[in-house]
Amino acid sequence: MALNTGKLLRLNLSSGKVATESVPGSVAADFVGGRGYGIRYLYDEMTPGIDPLGEENKLIILNGPLAGNMAQAVSRWMVCTKSPLTGAFARSVCGADFGAWLKFAGYEVVIIEGKAEKPVYVHLTPDGCQILDAGEIWGKDTKETQAWLNQRHGKDTRTACIGPAGENLVKYAAIVSDRRTAGRCGTGTVLGSKNLKAVAVTAKRNIQLADPEAYEKLAKEQVNIIRNNEGFQSHKEWGTTSTQDITNGIGIYPVRNFRYGQHIDHEKLTGEEYRKLRTGDMGCYSCPARCGKVHTVASGIYAGAHSEGPEYESIWAFTGPIESNSIEASIAADQLCDDLGLDTISTGGCIGFAYELYEKGLLKKSDTDGLELNYGSHEPMVALVKKIAMREGIGDMLAEGTMRMAASIGKGSEAYAIHVKGLELPAYEPRGAKSQGYNYVTANIGANHCYGYAAQDIFGAPFPRPTDRFSEENADVVIFNQDGTASKETGIACGFSGGWGWADSHFGKLLAAARGIDDFADNDYLNKVGERMFNLERAFNVREGFDRKQDTLPDRIRKEPLHTRQAPGEGQMVSHQDEFLDKYYSLRGWTKEGIPTPEKLKELGLGFMVADITGK
Amino acid sequence: MVVEVSIPPLLQTLADGTKQIDVGGGTVSECLEAVVKRYPRLKARLFTRGGKIAKGLNIYINGEGVYPDVLARSVKDGDKVHLAYLIFGG
Repeated sequence: MALNTGKLLRLNLSSGKVATESVPGSVAADFVGGRGYGIRYLYDEMTPGIDPLGEENKLIILNGPLAGNMAQAVSRWMVCTKSPLTGAFARSVCGADFGAWLKFAGYEVVIIEGKAEKPVYVHLTPDGCQILDAGEIWGKDTKETQAWLNQRHGKDTRTACIGPAGENLVKYAAIVSDRRTAGRCGTGTVLGSKNLKAVAVTAKRNIQLADPEAYEKLAKEQVNIIRNNEGFQSHKEWGTTSTQDITNGIGIYPVRNFRYGQHIDHEKLTGEEYRKLRTGDMGCYSCPARCGKVHTVASGIYAGAHSEGPEYESIWAFTGPIESNSIEASIAADQLCDDLGLDTISTGGCIGFAYELYEKGLLKKSDTDGLELNYGSHEPMVALVKKIAMREGIGDMLAEGTMRMAASIGKGSEAYAIHVKGLELPAYEPRGAKSQGYNYVTANIGANHCYGYAAQDIFGAPFPRPTDRFSEENADVVIFNQDGTASKETGIACGFSGGWGWADSHFGKLLAAARGIDDFADNDYLNKVGERMFNLERAFNVREGFDRKQDTLPDRIRKEPLHTRQAPGEGQMVSHQDEFLDKYYSLRGWTKEGIPTPEKLKELGLGFMVADITGK
Repeated sequence: MVVEVSIPPLLQTLADGTKQIDVGGGTVSECLEAVVKRYPRLKARLFTRGGKIAKGLNIYINGEGVYPDVLARSVKDGDKVHLAYLIFGG
């Protein structure tokens, strides 16, 4: 069985130089692929302290060893870089077809360096790479951009691109492919800073596997397992458009900038209500779930709004923070974010923050371009989405994210800025799902729900053990979730598919057949890879000056009791963060300041970077 | 014969806040019926009208996922049955 470590494309936009490399076998053995490759290359090649929007930052696009063939739900792709929103390690994951197409062109890793003098796009084929003029598409939205590139390069083209938000350096701009987004952490902002509008790939199907026969057998077994799984059937039917039924039911749907855990009109926002406006579904390459539910607004002020989504996070982002009960407005705002290239979670979070500042008199009508930001009022929210993307009027301030907004406004506004490390909180209230909250605290990219999703607290998952969702003594479970997620993102397996019954028995074996490295079939080996990745990401952040001080939930979550209306959990607070961190760091093998110890790094095979963080 | 059934957070509100309940039964089906006998409001959330397991509900016995033919699976004294909605994010 031949070793298949994946091919790397390195392109420098300043010099125009393009080169290809093979990933060394030792890197493949220790980091497998996907996010593992991302942090390994980023750590090795980035100089600490550089400006995330400067020429020196690098942006790495990755698929995984399983992308682009018959195995299901494993063709996702991601971006790793230094985040302009947080200054920390960033990884943002995306779906659609682009990851598979990148594989068809022959690449698993694309490292983008430097900065183009004028707007350009990159065109990749199996025969090579060209850096081309993007003057005609600079300023266009993501739909127009993709249509233009498809017209120019043909129907076998798939694109990842930015919209006006990325061009305007909105700090949480997304990269969009089809209608899916690598949304979080401002990866689109980094692309914009490099004057890079898009990466387009033109290729036809092309399998690259170490052991195709073994792989095909495993993939067929995977298909049969998934087909019969209840979790899969439910996901196929609903996507995540009904998750709010659960989170409102248990009091963890954040409302009015994280003051309440249940929407007052939650019965108007159920999955069934969204289903009434559903007009289709869309999916990712080689995935039968087609979980992207398309919604269209037929009448009213948002008539004509049409989006592949909103999914759960975006449903929340455009109903929860301002307590709107308009499904139609959420569809319109979601469409705008996809068109303009914005992260829906940070967009909704920043708007919710602005509404609270308006309520408290810290923003006045003269500050908001005449918009009246009253809770429940959704038209100003939709207007703000456009203003943010174009950095128009008050949108210029909101485009900086809640952390910088608070720093610029002052007057105590910091107390209402809901972020961790500068990344806005997603749609799960930490006071009612504390393992999820502590994942936000300790995730290397800031407050991200998918970095170590606490299915135990939220859905009652019994592995590695059941939890009490109000307990703050689940550090071991938080670590289990984070390291497990990291190991699955070597694949890059879809997070949703983790509940479809195949991953424990088949993920590692598929990796082994794809790479030609038998060790990958051992789940313990993969878990160790996940731990290694997580520690290296932490070391990246330590090198950037992060330590225990930034591992904290917002004041509101720690100092104000949660109000849950009709749901359980009234009065909950996060009260034992220090004790949690002590336990978490101890289990991780880190110092009390949250620095990986030399012993831990050596145990993980990361001894090469001990000197980098010694003394910090 | 005692089997411990854990109720997921969402359904605890329909079970007077109960997180775990000990029931008797030789199969998953019998155990869930015993749970419903104690908390009738759970019936529509655990079973379809046709008596199948409700969509989206995953069943675990001693931490191991069980499918297909969930309801017919046998259980023994001391087993732990977990009910969970597995969506994993949004």
